[in-house]
Amino acid sequence: MVKKKKANIGTQRSAYLFILPSAIILAVFVFVPLIASFIISLLNIDVFMRNVSFAGLANFKKLITDTRAFNDTFNTIYFTVLEVPLQIITALIISTFVANNTRLNQIFRTIFYLPFICSLTAIGIVFSMLLDPNMGWLPYLLNMVGLGGIAFLKDAYLAMPTLIVISVWKNFGYTMTLLTAAIIDVPGYLYEAAEIDGAGYWKKFMKITVPGIWPTICFCIVTNIIASLQTFDLPYIMTKGGPDFHTETIVQYIYDRGFRTAPYSLGYASAISVYLFLIIAIITFIFRKFILNRREEANAW
Amino acid sequence: MKRLRKVTSVILAGLLAAAMLTSCSGNKTSSTSSTSGGTSSDSGKNQTITFWNVFTGSDGDILREIVSKYNSENKDGVKIEMTIMPNDQFQQKLPAAIATNTAPDMVLFGVEYMASYVKSGSLEDISDFWDTMGVDKSNFYDNVVKQCQVDGKQYGIPMQYNVSYLYWNKDLFKAAGLDPESPPKTLDELASYAVKLTIPSKKQYGLLLPIGVTYPQFLWANGGDVDDPSTNKNLLNSDANLKTLEWMRDLAVNKKVTPKGITGSEADTMFQNGQAAMYMSGPWQINGLRTQGINFGVTSVPKGSAGAYSPAGGCAFEIPAGTSAEKKAAAYKFMKYWLSDEILKTWSKKNGFPVWSKSLEQQDDIKNDAVLSAITEATKIGRSYNIGYSLASQIDNDAIIPMFDSIINGSATPQHALKQASDKLDTILSSAS
Repeated sequence: MVKKKKANIGTQRSAYLFILPSAIILAVFVFVPLIASFIISLLNIDVFMRNVSFAGLANFKKLITDTRAFNDTFNTIYFTVLEVPLQIITALIISTFVANNTRLNQIFRTIFYLPFICSLTAIGIVFSMLLDPNMGWLPYLLNMVGLGGIAFLKDAYLAMPTLIVISVWKNFGYTMTLLTAAIIDVPGYLYEAAEIDGAGYWKKFMKITVPGIWPTICFCIVTNIIASLQTFDLPYIMTKGGPDFHTETIVQYIYDRGFRTAPYSLGYASAISVYLFLIIAIITFIFRKFILNRREEANAW
Repeated sequence: MKRLRKVTSVILAGLLAAAMLTSCSGNKTSSTSSTSGGTSSDSGKNQTITFWNVFTGSDGDILREIVSKYNSENKDGVKIEMTIMPNDQFQQKLPAAIATNTAPDMVLFGVEYMASYVKSGSLEDISDFWDTMGVDKSNFYDNVVKQCQVDGKQYGIPMQYNVSYLYWNKDLFKAAGLDPESPPKTLDELASYAVKLTIPSKKQYGLLLPIGVTYPQFLWANGGDVDDPSTNKNLLNSDANLKTLEWMRDLAVNKKVTPKGITGSEADTMFQNGQAAMYMSGPWQINGLRTQGINFGVTSVPKGSAGAYSPAGGCAFEIPAGTSAEKKAAAYKFMKYWLSDEILKTWSKKNGFPVWSKSLEQQDDIKNDAVLSAITEATKIGRSYNIGYSLASQIDNDAIIPMFDSIINGSATPQHALKQASDKLDTILSSAS
């Protein structure tokens, strides 16, 4: 009979003390602002914080008829719908190549991870100079092969795809790292068994690798969707939402209404934040149901 | 080995904690530190005041010289700590700073932004400046002083006054076979010169039209307008304005006299590098053009069927609400120093800004300065574009700037752009009443 040792109060208390700093930071920077933004969305308040009054649902009523908010919702979803699959697929394909723990693969993994840790502002500035139609290096090269006159970030239809490509380039390293770790965990004997049965690369990939790392892929998809729906820095630095609001995202609109354009209405900006919160919550909820179903399918084999 | 690992981890933890603490330490120092050596003051009190402004251009260098000269030479016991930042960063930082009581003691920005700050009670009423410091208000142009008032009260002390001018590159004019001494005088001439001066093979542009700015001078020249601030009326949707927008679109999109989607500062650089023949801008170009050795001329904005008008502007010193009385007094001393003939003359001569001090314009070397006389002449057509109107920045950001952007980018037809802007203007104006 194994004697079960009951954890004494002392250990419990010191455990709580250890998580206290993180808990305080989470509370101050995540929970309090979250609740505050719900409350602020019901108020008439500007950034000078004088003349505060209760507005009820007036901010939300205004949001329903705001065409610019719809434009930005479309842009944000357009960005997410293209960026997330592109990034996941790129990371997945590259992961299969760098999954083995050879020296060369380790070097490559580091190289691919580097863009992720670079400062987004620096990337934004460097790329906008590289792609500038008047002084950029890439348009210059394209001009030499006869494809002159492409204004990447200043063209209404090319700007968003350009941003998507740069965002994929920056972020795929992180996803690749997660997927590589997951691929390494897939038992090797499954592959050997498949080879004996005569399976080629594609079959092995689709039938063993992907289902094996499916939970990690889903995790990456969900976290990337949540992050992409909140994208702000890259479009803001490279195009400031232009040309003509074609690359403006919801978070940039929140920033604009609250801090950039008079009357600096924090109430309205918070209402848009609540709207974004609902969008992300709904999409995440739908996705979780989707994962749950797949998991049960997998267990039913 | 275990000992070494323990020691290493403790040292690492200590370093991390130290790094975190230093990065978190507050960077707002509100000090009334006494100045070192140099200055002796009768009152025995030395004040350091923090000063934010938006002079990032070449004129900012002259401002820096003037301020450091003041710091080292002044007998008022005042030391100025100046921070310069781009205008959009400034307009975002200042409201938040005022709301959290971390605002600087003195600020300097464009008069067109004053009204919305006054509306939210963020600026001190400094109408007592003239009497307290013994400065004669009547020595300065009346419209310049009035520009810095809101509801009849002085919230800003004028620092400079300017309108928008037309610059032209004389060498490029000559190379294209145009008389380098006669700039276009009408909008039609402006258009035809711009087309002649646009040479795609040399990547040379005739007339720079940046996005993110407004062009009321074109609307006014054809008899149109944006709004009437005194009656909150929307005047945007007119035939005259439609004609103007079609003219602009033709120049930008069809005749390609301007590069696509350039910002104001990119346009500054291009003109100062001699890549464009004409550009409309304020006097702050002059210092940079002189440094770059561009053979330039400056004249008034061309006229249309209804005359020539140029949007008047200027910058003023303001005191954010909540500044202490001592800091305010110290700031007053610097403002008085600025309004002296000597400093105003330095500013005008070095930067080409027009003169608005009656005592100064009598001086001979002002009267004999070629650039200054051209500028002063061209400043006479100044007209207020929503100055002192609290909705001004909202109207520009939400309605007018997007309208001009879509015309220059060619992304909307003039009818559509005008209608959209007019509708947005209605929404903004209705929220005011």
